[in-house]
Amino acid sequence: MTPVAGVDRWEVLEKIGAYAAGELEGEDAREAEQQIFDRPDYRRLAESYARMLVMLSTLASEEVEAPEVVISYAIRRAYVSAFLRQAETFIGALGRSYLDALIYYFGLRPVRRESYGGGT
Amino acid sequence: MALRILGKDDAQDASQEVWVRVWKNIRNFRGESAFTTWLYRITVNTCLSLRQKEARRDERELRDEMPYLSEPTGGDADPEAAALNAERREQIEAALVHVRAEHRAALVLRHMEGLSYAEIADVLQVPDGTAKGWVSRGRAAMLVALAEQNGLHRKREAGG
Repeated sequence: MTPVAGVDRWEVLEKIGAYAAGELEGEDAREAEQQIFDRPDYRRLAESYARMLVMLSTLASEEVEAPEVVISYAIRRAYVSAFLRQAETFIGALGRSYLDALIYYFGLRPVRRESYGGGT
Repeated sequence: MALRILGKDDAQDASQEVWVRVWKNIRNFRGESAFTTWLYRITVNTCLSLRQKEARRDERELRDEMPYLSEPTGGDADPEAAALNAERREQIEAALVHVRAEHRAALVLRHMEGLSYAEIADVLQVPDGTAKGWVSRGRAAMLVALAEQNGLHRKREAGG
């Protein structure tokens, strides 16, 4: 069994990992299979990867509950945001009404001639 | 997602930060990508910005021998029960911390969230090849770290 050194070891590690994750195809997959078949250390490595991937997917399938503090924070933000939007609408409408009243009071609006379609 | 990338100590802060960013940016969401992709992107970016300082700090060296995981006590016949074991869970969480942040995010998106490489590339805003490389390196680094955790655990058990 030839020892593998340095950068090559990462390459081997990643290749067997890709094989264990079912991501190799064609010639690459056959080559990895052959190496796993020939070398017990690679076989053990592939088994270790398989265990790790099962553990990750099992952990992923477990429900993660958001901490209470995060939920209450989110609800608080939603309330604040909704309140601010309403306040913005209300103040905007109020401001426009006052402006209209001022314009009317000072007579700033130009007199609009209305036509009723009767011709000149 | 934040819990898996950051661990429980920092996940809470990150979750709050994610909510703030979502509220601030929801009007900028133009529907060019799926809402989930957009949400993943905000979450991952938040987690990565919290982890920027630790980049490259913790990745485990690959030693002379290959990293191996011991067979669970119940054997491989019952992998789910073995995987759900509390000690195993702790080992996974501890090992994830030692994977470089971008690789960890890619690994979590692929093997825990089940995203395709195109989706991962979209979330991380990198080319497909980079996403694939990060997942691959993350998977290898995770095994190295997990084998180390596993070894430490066995040593503790042997020592009583």
